[in-house]
Amino acid sequence: MGSAWSFALARLSAAIGLAIAGGLIFGRVDLWLVALLAAYLLLQLSSLYRLHRWLKHRSEEDPPDLGGVWGDVVALVGRIYRRKQFHKRRVVQLFREFRRLTAAMPEGVLLLTNDREILWFNRTAGVMLGLHRKVDFGMRIENLVRHPDFARYIAAGPQSAPVTIRSAQGAEERFLAFQLIPAAEQQLLLVRDITRETRLEAMRKDFVANASHELRSPLTVVAGYLDQLADDHGVDPVWRAPIEEMRRQAERMRLIVEDLLELSRLEASDKEAPYDPVDLGGMLALLRKEALARVQRPREITLQLDSDRRLLGSETELHSIAANLVSNACKFTPAEGTITIRWWVDVEGGHLSVQDTGIGIPAEHIPRLTERFYRVDKGRSRKSGGSGLGLAIVKHALQRHGGRLAIESVEGRGSTFSCHFPAKRVA
Amino acid sequence: MEPADLGHHISRRFNEDLERVRTKVLQMGGFVEQQLEQAVTALVEGDSQLGEEVALGDHKVNQMEVGIDEECGKILATRQPTASDLRVIVAIIKTITDLERIGDEVEKIAIIASRLAAVEPPVDRYREVRHLSRLVTEMVHDSLHAFARLDATEALEIARRDRVVDEEYEAIQRQNITYMMEDPRSIRRALEVMWVVRALERIGDHAKNICEYIVYMVHGKDIRHLSPEDAEAQLQGREGFG
Repeated sequence: MGSAWSFALARLSAAIGLAIAGGLIFGRVDLWLVALLAAYLLLQLSSLYRLHRWLKHRSEEDPPDLGGVWGDVVALVGRIYRRKQFHKRRVVQLFREFRRLTAAMPEGVLLLTNDREILWFNRTAGVMLGLHRKVDFGMRIENLVRHPDFARYIAAGPQSAPVTIRSAQGAEERFLAFQLIPAAEQQLLLVRDITRETRLEAMRKDFVANASHELRSPLTVVAGYLDQLADDHGVDPVWRAPIEEMRRQAERMRLIVEDLLELSRLEASDKEAPYDPVDLGGMLALLRKEALARVQRPREITLQLDSDRRLLGSETELHSIAANLVSNACKFTPAEGTITIRWWVDVEGGHLSVQDTGIGIPAEHIPRLTERFYRVDKGRSRKSGGSGLGLAIVKHALQRHGGRLAIESVEGRGSTFSCHFPAKRVA
Repeated sequence: MEPADLGHHISRRFNEDLERVRTKVLQMGGFVEQQLEQAVTALVEGDSQLGEEVALGDHKVNQMEVGIDEECGKILATRQPTASDLRVIVAIIKTITDLERIGDEVEKIAIIASRLAAVEPPVDRYREVRHLSRLVTEMVHDSLHAFARLDATEALEIARRDRVVDEEYEAIQRQNITYMMEDPRSIRRALEVMWVVRALERIGDHAKNICEYIVYMVHGKDIRHLSPEDAEAQLQGREGFG
């Protein structure tokens, strides 16, 4: 107990002692005691009153100057009050900073309930989506952002792949990318304006497609004259070998241009491949025959069809997948090796694999194999005459079918390229 | 359970039903919006494939209409809404009819677009059509926003824009007649373009109708067949008495 309390107690007992003494000397102890206690009570009440008044008008009045225990109480209250003020100021300041921060963010942020009602959004999101503050709080987001793709995405939840929509507000078309992030009881929706990126990407694709297209016609002319020259007996025999080489190179260039066009066509259509039933078995049998007709080929090419079920997809694209894998296998397998082509179906879906006993691929190259013009061995693969785009085409065509490419390889022993198609692609 | 509590439950379930149907209407609207944009893109870019795709999408709009209609019928039968709740249902039933009609007009535009893709596009790449389509697309977009927000003031403002669309329609019509007189070879294309412009003008009218249903839904006043000024006067009168 503080000294103020012992002092107050001592003072009270001294006063009572004095009153009793006064009563004993002058008589009527009871009257003396009552008078003293009444006076004491009055004193306390007046202190309490002053304390009460100060607490009521705390902001404008200074704390009352009360001694003893009351003074302690006043000091204590004052301290609590000041601390509270300090915390309040800090919280307000933090909140302001948070608001300034979110407003300055280049991305739009929306906070949604689990029922997808808008709880809050920052200024950027409001501008991007044409939302009004306050009015639109509590509204369901898909009532205001009505693009069908967005509705599908938000209904599927945060697990699905982020979605990009094209919005044409006014004269300008814009591309917005949405991403949903679960946050405990709520969901966070991020909106990014990717108009610039999308345009650049479109420009790049257009450029490749146009350039390839433009290259094709002069190339046809060059190849045509070279063919004529090769057949012309009047040409000096010294030129025979160079002309042959030029023809080969022109043919290779034509292949590259064709593959570039094929690749840009695959890239341009971001839609899913169609669901036409394709007889993969027949296609593979034909490809095997074509491979057997090659001059340079491994001794044995076997076809193993474990299922006669059809694959749902685009016939031309599936053909280019299979053809590219088979021709790669032929190129990198020596004459005494074997190639096994397999098609099977299980619960996960359909699988196409091309296995060879060729030279194999060093592990560090495998992740980069599907990049355009990526070559494991610069010298060798150019001699084999590929465009360097085969696996990139395979990857893109597979993506359009919802499939994926798996590559396993041991250097010197051979490689296996497997295409896995989802179950919905199997008839 | 106490009767009051039960009543509360019923109204909450009802609100959820209503909100779900409203969301469905707006989803249908969103799809129609996208169809409209793509149909115009197909025309301007001369993309016959896109045009065909959009034309095929119309059956989806029809399905949505049937689905929402059925749901509204169910709500009417089981919940027997009155007053403002009833108005919401009535407005929804009318709105989806207009949305479906917009879908039909879009289908027309899409079919013409895939047909015109074979014809040499005009030098200005259908500048007039693009302008009109922007006005109309915005009208549809904003009217659906007003529907979501139950914003009658905004709806009135959008309904007023229909006049601009009509004027623009007249202007394009006159312009096309001049083209046809100047060069008879352009008549075929000009006629097709007239159909597109006509469809766009009709879409504007349907958007205006939707705005009128919004006013009806919010204020319970029928402002159809009134000039915008009269409509406003009526609404203000109501507020004066209220």
